[in-house]
Amino acid sequence: MAAIDIEAVTKRFGDIVALDDLSLRVDTGELYGLLGPNGAGKTTLMGVLTGQVRPDSGSLAVLGTDPIADPIEVRRRVGILPERESPPSFLTPREYFQFIGTVRDLDDDQVDALTATWARRFGFEGKLDVLATDLSRGQQQQVMIAAAFFHTPQAVFIDEPLTNLDPIVQERLKRFFVRYQAEGRTVVLSTHNVEVAAEICTKVGIIHEGRLLTEIEPATLDTDASLVDVFTEHIDTTLDWEELDA
Amino acid sequence: MPDSTTRLVFIGMLREEWRLHSRLFGGVRFALFPLIVFGLVTGAVWLLTYVETAIETILLGIHLLVFLFGLHTGSVGFIGRDALRNLLGDLTLLVFSARTLPISRRRLLGVFIMKDLLYYAGLFLLPVALGVAPIWLLEGGSIAEIAWLWMTLLGMFALGIVSTLTLIGLAGRGLPRALIAGAIIALIAAAWYLEIDPIGLTAYGAFIEPSAPAVLVPVGVIVVLGVIATVSFTVESHRVERRTQPRYRRWFGYIGDPIATKTLLDVDRSSGGFAKVLFSGAILFGVTAALVEFAGEVTGIEPSVELAYGMILGLTGFTTYNWLTQSDDIEGYLFHPLDVASVYRAKLRAFFIIGPVVALVFYTIGVLWQGGSLLSALTGAILTVGVTAYVFGVTIYLAGISPNEFLFDSLLFTLFAGAMMVALVPLLVIAFAVSPLGVEVLAAVGLGGVLLFALGLLAFNRAVDRWSQLHLG
Repeated sequence: MAAIDIEAVTKRFGDIVALDDLSLRVDTGELYGLLGPNGAGKTTLMGVLTGQVRPDSGSLAVLGTDPIADPIEVRRRVGILPERESPPSFLTPREYFQFIGTVRDLDDDQVDALTATWARRFGFEGKLDVLATDLSRGQQQQVMIAAAFFHTPQAVFIDEPLTNLDPIVQERLKRFFVRYQAEGRTVVLSTHNVEVAAEICTKVGIIHEGRLLTEIEPATLDTDASLVDVFTEHIDTTLDWEELDA
Repeated sequence: MPDSTTRLVFIGMLREEWRLHSRLFGGVRFALFPLIVFGLVTGAVWLLTYVETAIETILLGIHLLVFLFGLHTGSVGFIGRDALRNLLGDLTLLVFSARTLPISRRRLLGVFIMKDLLYYAGLFLLPVALGVAPIWLLEGGSIAEIAWLWMTLLGMFALGIVSTLTLIGLAGRGLPRALIAGAIIALIAAAWYLEIDPIGLTAYGAFIEPSAPAVLVPVGVIVVLGVIATVSFTVESHRVERRTQPRYRRWFGYIGDPIATKTLLDVDRSSGGFAKVLFSGAILFGVTAALVEFAGEVTGIEPSVELAYGMILGLTGFTTYNWLTQSDDIEGYLFHPLDVASVYRAKLRAFFIIGPVVALVFYTIGVLWQGGSLLSALTGAILTVGVTAYVFGVTIYLAGISPNEFLFDSLLFTLFAGAMMVALVPLLVIAFAVSPLGVEVLAAVGLGGVLLFALGLLAFNRAVDRWSQLHLG
């Protein structure tokens, strides 16, 4: 069953074609990696899927709901980690989770329990009452990740989630994403980090200049081949590696 | 003589300022801004002289406004890098580059102040001075005096900037705010006791009585404050973790809207707290008090205290809008199950919780102090709330919930100024040129207040539709 179904979606910003007649299907229970270089259209696609950006043409459904027609319902049912957002500067992490609780109609006891769980998971129990603006970039990112998964949504869209995080937290998070997906939920990971995509994704779509170039299941690659090879084969055909190395 | 690094940074900052504004508003619309300022000042000066306001009073008002604008411009230091990102998006300015460039933070700030002075001297203060020129020359003044006016306006602007930066610098160094406020009050009291004319400390003194001492004293004040500011100021001052008791849930219980609750917490916890909202009201209160006090002497007509306070304090709708929208942007909400309309309605709710209250508090103080009849006091109160709502509605229609930096866009600025003038100039004339006010006039003004309130809400509703469309692209 498809958690996400995109059919011939195009989005332009002036002269720039961010998404170019893109079609894509993500099955329920998949950890799908959107892999592409900077400016490939990944973030725009995430915006379109979560009803934050209106496409010029095409049709799409997320968990059976059209994000163009009912963006609020889609955002109610999914979790989102945007690439460039940080928690509100003048709320503490505890208050930000309470804010999310009121926005998502969670009761206070539930919010308190989830807050404790996420603080323990990341080890920021001691930072729960610090203004978000005074947290480090990594701590802010942890709060944003917790916020995306806070209500245990059936599908989560995460854009470059491992940025600014130390290697231990990165490792714990990768395991968490895999476990979350293994419990039957869908995770869409947007990244330009090929190694991360190869390591944890069940399927990877390579996007470039707003188009889906190919899809790969990393687990099925030969031992001689790597996702890096596939990626460079599709993306970097114009680069002169010898010249770059020199 | 500045060394080559300083010169390079100075030129870089000038280029950066131009690109920032021209990219935000489009090069032509930003380039037209001085012409718009010139047109508005010319029109306002003509109108005020038409209702027999003395040119000296107008020039005092212009110097005062430029000083206030300098105070505001200096407040960029209030907000720091995080808030600047909230206002203008993801950007890095040269003034924040002390950690990555081989140039000290103090020198960067000094260059930043010089850049701002040069920039505003050309794009803002020169058109203001030239805007006064037609009437000034008609009244027998000279071009040299207009050039001098430009210089003294620059002096007032510089005084405003260094005053704010000095206060921020001292506060950032850990000096208690109460101590700073106490020191300011003590200085004012000492000046009063020693019979020092405060005007003589400012460039306005040099304008009304040009002489070497009249120039040297304000220059000295600016230099001293500038040195204190650059020595004490830290661009990114708060690396200390600020802990706070959770208040979101309790406030939400009172307010009933998550975004309005967050917005008011933003106001409370950002630099200056709720005191900055009161400070904005206090400035307008001071302006009104001075106008009411002196306008009668100049024009020979006793102004209507209630209408003057109601109309001018209604402008707090603009400053309150500013405080309610400076700490966030719409994108920060749209990845939650929230839409643009719910964000705007929350801003309106937050506005109604503090906006009219602040205006009415100062209104009440003003009316109790400078007085009038009960009927006119009630009329003025209706006008206060009406103007506040009108200003808020128009501003949010034009600028969304983005900062008032957008008013440097010549088109938006013209629309904003036009909308304000259409509503407020008739009230200005009634308040300062018609006396005494009969029951019929008061009834008309009261109805006008109600109408402005309705227009404000109408503009707000249109804003919700307009910005919902724009944000979805």
